[in-house]
Amino acid sequence: MIGGSPSPTPSPPSLRATIIEAVGLERRFGDVPALASLSLGVQSGEIYGLVGPDGAGKTTALRILAGVIAATDGHALIQGRDPLTGASKVRASIGYMPQQYSLYGDLTIDENLRFFARMFCLKKAEYEARRAKLLDITRLQRFTDRRAEALSGGMYKKLALACALLHRPAALILDEPTNGVDPISRRELWALLFRFAQEGMAILVSTAYMDEAARCHRVGLLHRGRLLLEGRPADLTAALDNPVYSVVFDPTNTGFNDTLMRHRAIVTASLAQSEFRIVVECGAEAEVTRFLADGGATWTRVAPNLEELFLVREHEASRSTPRTQPTGGREA
Amino acid sequence: MREFVLRTSALAHKEALHMLRDRQVIFLALGMPLVLVLLFGYAVSFDVEEVEVAVVDHDMTHASRSFLARVDASDAFRITAYPASAEGAEALFRRSHLKAMFVVPRGFQRALDREEPADVQLIIDGADGTTARVIEAYASALALFTTADLISSVPTSTPLFEPRIRMWFNPRMASAVFVVPGLVAVVLAIITVLLSGLTVAREWERGSMEQLFATPVGRLSIILGKVAPYVGLGFLQFLLILVAGAYLFDIPLRGSFPTLVLAVFLFLVAALGQGVFISMATKSQQLAVQIGAITSILPSLLISGFLFPIANMPLPLRIVSRLVPARYFIACLRGVLLQGRGLSTLWPQILGLAALGIGIIAITTRRFRRRLD
Repeated sequence: MIGGSPSPTPSPPSLRATIIEAVGLERRFGDVPALASLSLGVQSGEIYGLVGPDGAGKTTALRILAGVIAATDGHALIQGRDPLTGASKVRASIGYMPQQYSLYGDLTIDENLRFFARMFCLKKAEYEARRAKLLDITRLQRFTDRRAEALSGGMYKKLALACALLHRPAALILDEPTNGVDPISRRELWALLFRFAQEGMAILVSTAYMDEAARCHRVGLLHRGRLLLEGRPADLTAALDNPVYSVVFDPTNTGFNDTLMRHRAIVTASLAQSEFRIVVECGAEAEVTRFLADGGATWTRVAPNLEELFLVREHEASRSTPRTQPTGGREA
Repeated sequence: MREFVLRTSALAHKEALHMLRDRQVIFLALGMPLVLVLLFGYAVSFDVEEVEVAVVDHDMTHASRSFLARVDASDAFRITAYPASAEGAEALFRRSHLKAMFVVPRGFQRALDREEPADVQLIIDGADGTTARVIEAYASALALFTTADLISSVPTSTPLFEPRIRMWFNPRMASAVFVVPGLVAVVLAIITVLLSGLTVAREWERGSMEQLFATPVGRLSIILGKVAPYVGLGFLQFLLILVAGAYLFDIPLRGSFPTLVLAVFLFLVAALGQGVFISMATKSQQLAVQIGAITSILPSLLISGFLFPIANMPLPLRIVSRLVPARYFIACLRGVLLQGRGLSTLWPQILGLAALGIGIIAITTRRFRRRLD
């Protein structure tokens, strides 16, 4: 597993061209707003992670930026051009990997690669070189005759990534690329993403995994179609004021953790890798520590992680915005 | 332009791979035409053979017996009952296979001898209109020829004329010769509309449309790439039906084969365009199959001239039939196969097919929105 230890986050590249840009993107499905005024930019060489709960509008945002659905309002720009209505030139600079299975299952790895290479009109020599390189780094060489539908989840995703990268796109848009992928393949996929970012690609990726989000140069938290916050993961977690404790319970006091979780000053609690962590409301520090001491538990104050940050911000946003606002969907 | 050709041929190649890997498609495409040819060729028959009839002979003379012997000897009729009178005809029709009854009145021979009109009554079971009409026609012809023979057997008389009817293009009036050429159009219409209807909807259902839309490929490329491999498959089906028809039903090929090939090509483009259009509008395989079946089977069967002459239809149907590609195609098929015609006389039909084919592809391309929502 990539685990709890924060991976080294390279400093975001500065003074580079913005490749992927959303300006006030809005999208409604009927009366249901899926995106509300989303603005973000991804620079060359940067990996931007889009996180948020299911239905927050991640897929809708990525689909608009990839030019497969239209925005109700606002602009999507890839290298300054509209990906939906722009000429085929724009699409030639986008690599898009949808969340759902969208390659041809009854075609082999080689046939899928060749088909998409021909859609992008790659020259034969160029294709051969690109194919060899992509098969090498995805370690799929031995399976080129296997049909896509017979591949494991991880191999399929790597093939989809290879298909999206054949034409050396300037912008790579990935919708939950590691969903349903084993931990080793996940790690490999992310290693590939960093490699392509280093080559200057702008990468916009949505993910449900917080450890993945923590590795991005920048992350944005999408909540009900709005961008709640955005920035470098380290900066974001540092800005969280709420105290976070790692708690060790008294083994004789059974049931205390349930009581603790129901405490009104606890914003969120989580158990990960046998570590029980709680996030406490600002100003309720004394009240909670007294409660912990009474229950026979010991605690240490720890630095918040991204997940805790997002849960706190979503918690705040849910309380401040009326519940009636519908959530976005991917039923496009 | 080069890119357009490259992408279209890549799509066609991919589509051909889908087709070849799907056993159901191959079975449907090659098995169904044969089944339909056999079914229609043998079952859809307007031929009347060995119809069981009853005879009532009130004359009991040499002439009456001679006439009835000819009825029995003809291919059309077989006498299976000899009731004493015509009284029970209705009941007989109801409880037996009898379809008609000949009643020879008293004085039949006397009238013939005097060269006066001699009446024979024919009672036909009219429940099955088509058969009844054919029986009527056979019986009149039989009466005509027999009378001539009976009279000429009397030395004093000479027939004024002897009718010699020749049925051109289909001398034996075999239904199969009439039905099978039209069947080519019906079979091709059904199968191509269904198959092409499935293919676009499948891309929607399997999600591959999303990946396809993220590439620079254009709308026309997608549609033509879908259609092209099925044109090839359609030709294969066409040849299959033609060969089966020639062997099983002696369907001739009298006219210009290149004209027929052109007609097949244009018809396939129109039918496939229809399928792609339906598929695009429904985005669901199940719905595409249902709508495709209705919009291909009904028009090509009913208002194409396949079974019923267009000239006999009410005006609105005649107008609608002008939008049915099968109408022009059937005219070409019968024209080339049976009548020995070529492009010099069939060009209006070819033009009609071309107009429909180009029209449907143009509409489909225009309506095709190159995005998911």
